[in-house]
Amino acid sequence: MLNYFGQKFKDNGYQLMNDRDAPIWQNASYWPITLRITPYWSRESINKVAVDSAPTGEQRMTTTGFNLSGLDILTGGTLENNISFLLVPSSDETGAFHFESANVRFDNLFHSPWLNVKLGKFELDSFISEKRTLTLSASGGGYQLFHFIPVGDGNIFGQLGDNQLGVEWMGHSLNDRTRLSVAVFNSVDGNVDLPYGQNSYTTFIAGSQAFDAGKLGVQRIGGYAMIGVAPTTYLTSGGVPIPGSGIGNKSFSRYGFEGLFYLGSKLDFQVFTQHGSDDAWFGACYGEIITGTCDPANNNTTGVLPAGARNPTWSGAFVETHFVYSPQLTIFQRSEWVRMSQQAFPTNPSNLGDIDNYVFGYRYNPFMTSRAGFAFHNEYSWIRQRGTSPVTFSDLSSNSLLLGFDFDF
Amino acid sequence: MRTRLPMWSLCLGAITFVAFPLGASAQLTMSNINSRMGIESHVGNITGHAKAAKTDYRRYCVGCHGELGDGNGENFPWIDPKPRDFQLGIFKCRSTPTGTLPTDQDLFDTIARGLDRSNMPQWSTFTKQQRADLVAWVKHFSPRFVNEKPGTPIQIPAEPEITADRIKAGREVFARVQCWKCHGVEGRANGPSASTLQDDLSRPIQAYNFTDGSRLKCGSTDADIYRIFMTGLDGTPMPSFADNIKPDEAWDLVFYLRSLMPEPSKEKAMAKQLGLKPVDPNAPAGQQ
Amino acid sequence: MKNRHNLAAFITVAVLVCCGALLLNQKVNAAGEGKITGTVKLDGTAPHMKGIDMSKDPYCVKVNANNSPHMENVVSGSGGGLENVVLYISEGLSGAAAAPATNVPVFDQKNCQYTPHVLAMDVGQTFKVTTSDQTAHNIHPNPNPMTGNIPWNQSQPPGAPPVEKSWKTPEMIEVKCNIHPWMHGWFAVVKGPYATTDASGNYTINNVPPGNYTVTAWQEVYGTQTQKVTVAAGAPGKADFTFKAK
Repeated sequence: MLNYFGQKFKDNGYQLMNDRDAPIWQNASYWPITLRITPYWSRESINKVAVDSAPTGEQRMTTTGFNLSGLDILTGGTLENNISFLLVPSSDETGAFHFESANVRFDNLFHSPWLNVKLGKFELDSFISEKRTLTLSASGGGYQLFHFIPVGDGNIFGQLGDNQLGVEWMGHSLNDRTRLSVAVFNSVDGNVDLPYGQNSYTTFIAGSQAFDAGKLGVQRIGGYAMIGVAPTTYLTSGGVPIPGSGIGNKSFSRYGFEGLFYLGSKLDFQVFTQHGSDDAWFGACYGEIITGTCDPANNNTTGVLPAGARNPTWSGAFVETHFVYSPQLTIFQRSEWVRMSQQAFPTNPSNLGDIDNYVFGYRYNPFMTSRAGFAFHNEYSWIRQRGTSPVTFSDLSSNSLLLGFDFDF
Repeated sequence: MRTRLPMWSLCLGAITFVAFPLGASAQLTMSNINSRMGIESHVGNITGHAKAAKTDYRRYCVGCHGELGDGNGENFPWIDPKPRDFQLGIFKCRSTPTGTLPTDQDLFDTIARGLDRSNMPQWSTFTKQQRADLVAWVKHFSPRFVNEKPGTPIQIPAEPEITADRIKAGREVFARVQCWKCHGVEGRANGPSASTLQDDLSRPIQAYNFTDGSRLKCGSTDADIYRIFMTGLDGTPMPSFADNIKPDEAWDLVFYLRSLMPEPSKEKAMAKQLGLKPVDPNAPAGQQ
Repeated sequence: MKNRHNLAAFITVAVLVCCGALLLNQKVNAAGEGKITGTVKLDGTAPHMKGIDMSKDPYCVKVNANNSPHMENVVSGSGGGLENVVLYISEGLSGAAAAPATNVPVFDQKNCQYTPHVLAMDVGQTFKVTTSDQTAHNIHPNPNPMTGNIPWNQSQPPGAPPVEKSWKTPEMIEVKCNIHPWMHGWFAVVKGPYATTDASGNYTINNVPPGNYTVTAWQEVYGTQTQKVTVAAGAPGKADFTFKAK
């Protein structure tokens, strides 16, 4: 997450609002660009991998070795007074590039901090951000609730951890104590060229209020709601679903609370909750047949829901603790739980897909300047999901140990 | 006849050099500064403690203001105006007379307000307690705050009604004390002396331009404007006019200055109605 | 018997002598506030002082129409005498120093320059800044705040009343006007009796009790020089200084 000053700076359109924000005030040799990559050594261990020679068909697999994270190239700033932008070409560890963010924002329209409009591909407005998470490991480094899909569910569009393509109105009080936003975007999970529905949109609404807690610092609490529709029916050509032809929109929702709690300058907590619900069609694996999450045969052409299908729903929460011993040493821990409250099919075990995830680690910056730095990042994470092992459908757990250098220039 | 020598006379022998303009170098050591770690501040009913602000200063302020509070942070070479050297105990935005220390409230307000057209952000993001702690931390850099009391805040009489006569009288004051020498006759900061202005550290500095819509660094209310020219901005060429402008006249000048600013205001409308022209620098005294 | 008499006599004489000496001493102190006099010269050719372009302020040009103003860092007369050198006593003054002199030295802004160029004063002595010009000035001394002298900045528009101030510690303080950037002067704050050389380089420090002292001469470009000098009743100390032109 960003500290309050950083959040306000971002909400102002990367501007200090000191009448010095247009690029003309910057040194001409200054480019607002930063590169980030993390080479690391890791130990990954999964307790059940499908292996032919294993007696049960599954066995533990542990690998160790050096590896590379993807590369983020972050560029952001102002194009002009009150016009800001963020462009993040990002590659995964194989070097395959995509745009993580590419948006322009018109800030402080009519001189009002309540009128800011962003257009393009952007991260959904949550002050607890997975893009700025402190955890990096494979098994449990991300926020499960930001990507949770029930087992067998075909809805990839409800992932609030993925950047989306759309438009966002955002408003805030002058001191950024109150924040509100409404975003409307296509249910394409951020994929360009409208590969899914003809007319399927999602709305994301968020609001928060910060307040002065004296010595403890500024606390912020808020909530969010994501309500959208996505297609379950595609026209086909030669049996192959046609991208962009999706109809038969069914709905899904995610909503919850978020909080940032500070106890002085050194200790803070992030709290995030979610209650999620997908339409029964998605629960029965209708939806994403374009790139194969679901069987292409699951094309809702008959309008008949499979017998017994229900709306899968779940609840979850995570708490992340940061102990900032000094600006150079941060110790962190996160605990996350996801519990299904209704399975898509009554025949599923009631806890199918439940997740427990624990992470802890520390980041140590031997030096920090405003231009470059690196952090010695060490982390251990453990995650368990119920009933999802590949062969026996028993509990699947994995753990990661990551020792890395996180470089940023 | 030799008697015991007091220390100062030996020191006199040592002071053989001209007092050079101050450079950007720190003059106090860390241990000297640390000796004042117990300093407190009092803002409203909040008591701030320097020690409690150590982490916040390290996190947010040290990049410009430096570990020793002398303005020599990492960002010093790249920004203009330069960050303040807290060791000197000289501050622009005060409610107290020239040559005296600001009150804790003055420092508190400056931290929250930031300084427009500079790289000092509006740190209203801190809680009031955190800001009060930071005020105490800012004070602990300068030995002056230990024994020297802040000046007595100037008395500001109640603001009168804006009238056409007052705006005209304000224009007379502007001409009489010759603000236009630096600020220009239209307030555009293009007066005859504007181009050679230097601050106390011999760095070029610009006079405030009333016409460009930027916020005044030391506050935007009428009372703030009153305070600015009556107390002067220490460390800069802007002097105190307390001995030369009577309190009632001062309000007239405030109204006239408002009429020079681009924001719509009663003063601006009235001045337009009056058809007020900029002052004439060549007119003899009293004949504007 | 004889010894006792001698002792008594001795004691009496001793007491008489002591009392007499005390009385005499007092008389010397009361009557003999001595002086130190001398001349300060410049050895060599004085550096050329640049002429000042005052066109920023038409009033300044007008009042200087009949003289050409120059920078005053080194003002040297035809006989080689150096003006504006401050002489003060840097060693030898007793701890019970006299209260600062009660006269009020005046620093005037006249014809857009400072008169005198260097104003010497005692620590704690009240001095006055006046303006004789019909153009606005601001009076802005810039001491080093670390010494205990705090900078201040006051306006002096035409007709402004005098500004009365004093300084806390000895320091050579630069004074300038922000409106007229060529205006440059000094407040020479020293402890104890002082004098400033006149146009011929001559000076007299008055009110110096008899004794042995070190006198320091300070010139803003050439720095300081010291000399030992003895002052006795009726016999002023003499200290001449010569600064070498660079």
